[in-house]
Amino acid sequence: MEWNGYTGNILNVDLTGEKISIMKQNPDDLKQFIGGFGMNCKLGAERIKPETDPFSPENFVIVGVGPLVGTITPGASRTAGISKFPATGAIANSCGSMSFGFHLKQAGYDHIIISGKAEKPTYLQIIDDHVELNDAKDMWGSDIVETTDFLWKKYGSSGVIAIGQAGENMVRGALTLIDKTSTFGRGGIAAVMGYKNLKAIVTQGTKGVSIAHPKEFNEAYKKLFERIRNYPQRQSWHEVGMLRSLPMGLMLTAQGQKKKARQVSDRFYLKKIKKRRIACPSCPMADKDILEIKEGEHCGLIQYTSSAINPFLMFTLKGLNTYDEVIKIFDLANRYGLDSLTLTALFELITRLHEQGVITEEMLGLKWKSDYETLAEVTEMIAYRKGLGEVLAGGWKEIGKKFNIEDKMLQVKGLDVIFDPRFMRLGTMEFEQVVNVKGAHVASGGSPTYATSGGSIERFKTHFKRMGIPDPAIKRIFKPLKEEMMVNVPRLTRYSEDWYALLTSMGLCARAQMNRFFSMENVTNFYNAVTGFDRSQEDLRIAAERSWNLLKLLNAREGFSRKDDKFPKEWFNNLKYGNNELQLHDFFGTTVITPTIANQLLNDYYDERGWNLEDGLPSQKKVKELELTPYM
Amino acid sequence: MSSKTRRKIITHEEQCVGCRICQLWCSYQFTGKFSFSKAFIKIEEPYGLEPKISFLEDCTTCGQCADHCLYGALEKIEEGM
Repeated sequence: MEWNGYTGNILNVDLTGEKISIMKQNPDDLKQFIGGFGMNCKLGAERIKPETDPFSPENFVIVGVGPLVGTITPGASRTAGISKFPATGAIANSCGSMSFGFHLKQAGYDHIIISGKAEKPTYLQIIDDHVELNDAKDMWGSDIVETTDFLWKKYGSSGVIAIGQAGENMVRGALTLIDKTSTFGRGGIAAVMGYKNLKAIVTQGTKGVSIAHPKEFNEAYKKLFERIRNYPQRQSWHEVGMLRSLPMGLMLTAQGQKKKARQVSDRFYLKKIKKRRIACPSCPMADKDILEIKEGEHCGLIQYTSSAINPFLMFTLKGLNTYDEVIKIFDLANRYGLDSLTLTALFELITRLHEQGVITEEMLGLKWKSDYETLAEVTEMIAYRKGLGEVLAGGWKEIGKKFNIEDKMLQVKGLDVIFDPRFMRLGTMEFEQVVNVKGAHVASGGSPTYATSGGSIERFKTHFKRMGIPDPAIKRIFKPLKEEMMVNVPRLTRYSEDWYALLTSMGLCARAQMNRFFSMENVTNFYNAVTGFDRSQEDLRIAAERSWNLLKLLNAREGFSRKDDKFPKEWFNNLKYGNNELQLHDFFGTTVITPTIANQLLNDYYDERGWNLEDGLPSQKKVKELELTPYM
Repeated sequence: MSSKTRRKIITHEEQCVGCRICQLWCSYQFTGKFSFSKAFIKIEEPYGLEPKISFLEDCTTCGQCADHCLYGALEKIEEGM
């Protein structure tokens, strides 16, 4: 058949047998699961056997790009991945951006299925029809930046997924970077690649991507492109990037760290730190950063990042006093392939528990001080699993047991919390951290509680319609547990996840500044115009829901259930924030969330999903309705 | 474009973010496919510190790349002859 949008090809790579083959896509599967994230779930479900050790040849890394990737559809550059993650033991999704997905599609592939274990360090080259496993001996031991630069020098402009020393040494939470910029695989995809002796994947394509209905596509594109062109905030996003999205200065000021707050201001960033803005292919809202330290000890350091917020979040750590120290530590983490968010959480916890005498220097085996030198040293120790680094590289579960601090850790299922709702209040992104199969992750929780924080109910309604939330569900979302809470965040989270699943299956950006331009209507129009399929909005909404439920079923097979969807105990204690004591509140700050209320919130979420309240898993009825019975 | 004017595309490479929308639109217009390699406009090192923009001989200076650049890296100028 003639393929448009899709290439119709799935690349099978068996590292053990050094075998490469191509499998054809089945159009019926695409009707059920769309592509990208959704098809990854199906391919994973058929291959990853229950209770597979993440570090075994039987684990898979499956990478996929949706049908809109490779076209000019604004923001269509996402790469999705699925694997069994070593940090948590969950089968989960991860996403990244930059040019990998685009190049893969141009080379002629929708998915890569990687299995087995290479005998020696290897990298996968996918250049049009030239797919090869190449020797990576010279690259092994290099960091991500060095590896990517090496491959770019060799192949020219191409998409690169690379691991650093942390991945090679199987640090359980190690991640990869795409094009040395975009994080991909929080929770350990890099460690799985490290186990498999797979240092990198490089791809480049020249085949071009065709679309089925140019007239309809042009119409949809022109309409969306002009809306974005005329968006009043576009220039400001271009100027300061992701700093627009989180009040870093406010956070630091509230913590009593005013001197630092000045160093994260827009003015300071523009004058002292920003080198250049870069974008994913097809993106009209460029927000990736190249940073540069222009003075002092680290003068000349160039740092690529998918969000300047990530280094600045490390600024919340005591003892990191200047922006250049923060960027330097962040750069180290990035090069090794360590998760800067996890490092920040880890250093904050150890420092606090050390001050309280819960963790002693004898237990740590080193003199602990929250300062630049110690943090840099420990970052390296983790990447190379040296001394204390051996324990910390084992992930939160191992750390909790070793130091007997499980109740004090801000983590869910073995992944650390990104947004603390005691500071941010409980929006969908915060709540999602409790129920996401991956553990505490915020990617799929995007909703008006994030995009229009403090916004009016009317604006909420506009966004709900845009996200394709059915009218009866909107009514339920406006019936929270208590009237004064105004919005039922758990019920809304279900639709945020489904909306995310849709965008990620298409290959579309889910960041708020692009997300706001997408609707069920225009996404459906783009999909049909590109692929030539004739799918209704409802078909696509159900396909997204189906994918999310399938991912849940895969984790039910692993033994996960309601018992694992736990609010971290520490959330119920006050958070000391500067001179303030912050309590866990609902999104509008009217109600203190107690353990009893938290339990009721979980009930609402499961109920909205059509899952059993007892075990928090998809009910038989829901499984049948979504035609997922074969995956039970 | 009237017969008495000539169109030029001026590049401001320091403004380029590497989104490559210009290349995608160009290849789509002239080949019906989206592709970096089939475009008449080339971007070298799109994620480097100093990207380079150039045009192939086949470029018709239709100017649609500039019309689609949202970052000010391409500018269309009509000059009198």
